[in-house]
Amino acid sequence: MGEFKVHRVRFFDYMPSAIRALAFNQPNETMAVARMDGAVEIFLVSDKFFQGKIIPGRDQCGIEGLTWVGERLFSAGLNGQITEYDLKNQRVKYTIDAYGGPIWAITGNQQGTHLAVGCEDGTVKLFAVNEDKIQFERNLDRQKGRIVSLSWHPSGSKIAAGMIDMIQIFNVETGQSIHRMLTDRGTSRSKECMVWCVVYLSDGTIISGDSGGMVKMWNDHTGTLIKSHNVSTCDVLALSVSRNEDSIVAGTSEGFVVQFQFISLVLEKNDKEWVRTRTFRNHTHDVRAVAEITTAVVSGGMDTQLVVRPLLDKIEVNSSASALQKIIFPHRSLVSCARKAGLMLFQYPGHLELWRLGESEGQGIPGSSLLVKTNPEKLLHLKVKGEDHIRCSAVSPCGEWIAYSTASSLGLYRLHCDNNNISITKISKIPKVLSSAKLCFSSDSSHLFSASTQSSVHVVSLSQSGCKLVGTLKPKSGSHQAIHLLAASEDGKWLASANSDHEVHVYNLQKKELHCTVPIYSSAVSAMAIHPETNCLFMMHADQRMFEFSIEQKQYSDWSRSVQRNGLHYIWLERDTPCLNVMFNPQNPSHVILHDTYMFCIIDKSLPLPDVKTQFLNQLTLKSLPKEKRKSESHAFKVCKTFREMLHVELMSDQSLVVVERPLVDISTQLPAPIKQKKFAT
Amino acid sequence: MSELTQSQFESSDDELPEEIAFDASKSAALKSVKDALESAKREKNILKERRRKRQQLFQEQKSRKRLPEDLLEEFDTEPQKPAELSDNVEDEEETNATSETNSKSLPDSYSVKRVKDESAAKSLQQTAIDFIQSRLYGPGTKRTSNVELLSLKKKKGADQGASVEFANKKYGADLKKKITKANKRFIHKQKMVPS
Repeated sequence: MGEFKVHRVRFFDYMPSAIRALAFNQPNETMAVARMDGAVEIFLVSDKFFQGKIIPGRDQCGIEGLTWVGERLFSAGLNGQITEYDLKNQRVKYTIDAYGGPIWAITGNQQGTHLAVGCEDGTVKLFAVNEDKIQFERNLDRQKGRIVSLSWHPSGSKIAAGMIDMIQIFNVETGQSIHRMLTDRGTSRSKECMVWCVVYLSDGTIISGDSGGMVKMWNDHTGTLIKSHNVSTCDVLALSVSRNEDSIVAGTSEGFVVQFQFISLVLEKNDKEWVRTRTFRNHTHDVRAVAEITTAVVSGGMDTQLVVRPLLDKIEVNSSASALQKIIFPHRSLVSCARKAGLMLFQYPGHLELWRLGESEGQGIPGSSLLVKTNPEKLLHLKVKGEDHIRCSAVSPCGEWIAYSTASSLGLYRLHCDNNNISITKISKIPKVLSSAKLCFSSDSSHLFSASTQSSVHVVSLSQSGCKLVGTLKPKSGSHQAIHLLAASEDGKWLASANSDHEVHVYNLQKKELHCTVPIYSSAVSAMAIHPETNCLFMMHADQRMFEFSIEQKQYSDWSRSVQRNGLHYIWLERDTPCLNVMFNPQNPSHVILHDTYMFCIIDKSLPLPDVKTQFLNQLTLKSLPKEKRKSESHAFKVCKTFREMLHVELMSDQSLVVVERPLVDISTQLPAPIKQKKFAT
Repeated sequence: MSELTQSQFESSDDELPEEIAFDASKSAALKSVKDALESAKREKNILKERRRKRQQLFQEQKSRKRLPEDLLEEFDTEPQKPAELSDNVEDEEETNATSETNSKSLPDSYSVKRVKDESAAKSLQQTAIDFIQSRLYGPGTKRTSNVELLSLKKKKGADQGASVEFANKKYGADLKKKITKANKRFIHKQKMVPS
């Protein structure tokens, strides 16, 4: 199979950003997630929560709320601006200042005609949603305190606003406040009660979560309190109601999520009321956002993990869809390696770091660790100018070129690396190939491929003197969604691109035109690569299925057809993290190396495929068998689970493996402080 | 005791009231008034003395703080020159406003800031962020640290282990450094030289 020297890299201090808001779009089945650093991510719910699009954030952003109006996504933040996102091209479309001070809440009505924002100065501002932009319409009556949370009544005629110590109900037509409901301060008389979240139901019940840990049900007709539930000792930070309004989930500061259901206490009697049913303890830190989709409860908070908890009473079949899913790492690679030079480029939001791998000496038995002779050293720390965060970055295989792209600019640098001296020169005259979604260098480092708007790829040739735009590769027709993956062939003839509409195009680089399109598959492509010898495009999808497409013959390869006939083992299909990198081994052409967050696997195409009854993870048992039996028992999938949470795995040209690990413990120690929970005997 | 009371009774009942001369009582009254006045005066004088001494002390301290005399003289001459120039300028121009703005001083609650340095939006955003921070993490909230959370998990979990500060090399590195430094200092202080 193969013995590899493995570089275990733990000096990539990747810190994910906390989740601040969630918004579910029912028709598209997509979940929008807003993070504290301003990044907005779109997850495809039906495709195993694959991260379809990422819009990078910027400094000083302070997003507070996210809402869908039809198919358009809006967000508002403490910088006082409302932002609309261009989801096709994965960037910000425009921002509008609301002129009300910091915006604390944003919500759209069910009819899709208006947006309401709650501002610091106490006004609820209404914006009309037009075809291309939003326009300020009017203010509702100005109040004395700040508006912290908002909710429209499903009919669109009333708005409930949560403020400090009270909840106000506004009539949207007249703009006047109908009712003013005061929340009591609970045990702490001196601290004001912040109503962090409100939900308006169609039967007139208003449900609020406040900083005293109470979830209160109010009647909007009389303006009085119906019932109050004491959920926790600390704040209730988020509320969400299900589509048919029979279930509410509340997220608290202590990290648990509570569900209330509208059921009758006695069977067959019609007097229904809100009863607290389930508690989900899946988070360690504050839960800032919850959303209830048809079959699951999605929650996210300060511990940066997105947790999808399926509701078992809504699922009919006990399959992998009923398992808890935690999304910890992004579904894009943040590490790129210069295979021939032994360098690694780490992408942080505001800067790039280039490291050289260390060296070890001696040999060892498999499983042992070797002495490190030279420590890894940081060669370059490249800060990005401006406030935008880096969208993508790449280093050329020879290690001489570094490119990165933000929402507003593209930076290309040439690196000169003698033994001890490192110098870097910025290429200033870059053709106007702004903001690419994905960058890729050709294998001989002579060209840079930059994916830009409308699914097209710009080809830039690199030389001693600088760079020059050589051509643009465009698909014939089809969607204009942004490209999220690029793969170049080893011989420099072919380039494959995958976009968010599940289209994979293969371009002929010599003729600079489209060669063929791979048949569309329903799941998104999570990783792909072109084999150096057979020129077959190997694609891994988000639902864990794999395809191999022969570029020259323009059809699926025989091995790929046999995999489809045989089917994949259920353990392989049940993995919940997508494969992020596919590589080939020049010494063993029939090997394919893949990895996801928890395992890395070598697929040997020459060995038989496992069927349902064989033991899938059989590496340890194979070791114990005698040599003759091993051959008959082994199958194509060799899975290794020794490494901790992996961000990236790459095979260097000197046949050593680099595994970039980021143990969750290291992330946990740098998070903000959690609430102290009193446990027995501590 | 009975004699005393008898004499008292006798003195009050049998004898005639004593004759006190008007002059004596007048002088007594006057004397008491004089005494009162004098004591008030004395008190005033004492306070005066105290105040004078304190004032002197402050003067001395101030003079110690002040720059040497020659520097002060230099400063004295300087403002006159630009004032002279500005006067000339004013004579040439015919606006009167400048002279007034030069000599006016802002009231106490005003301060001068550049527009570049601080925009209103940013400061509002910052106050909002600080507000959220104080409500969620400020005083009154029961927060603990991540290390404690992780260490508790380790202690109660299936495979029990030591606290994160000791087990995790990366995390405990600076803490360990501090501890070793403190140990070295202690050994040095106690003059415990290893033999």
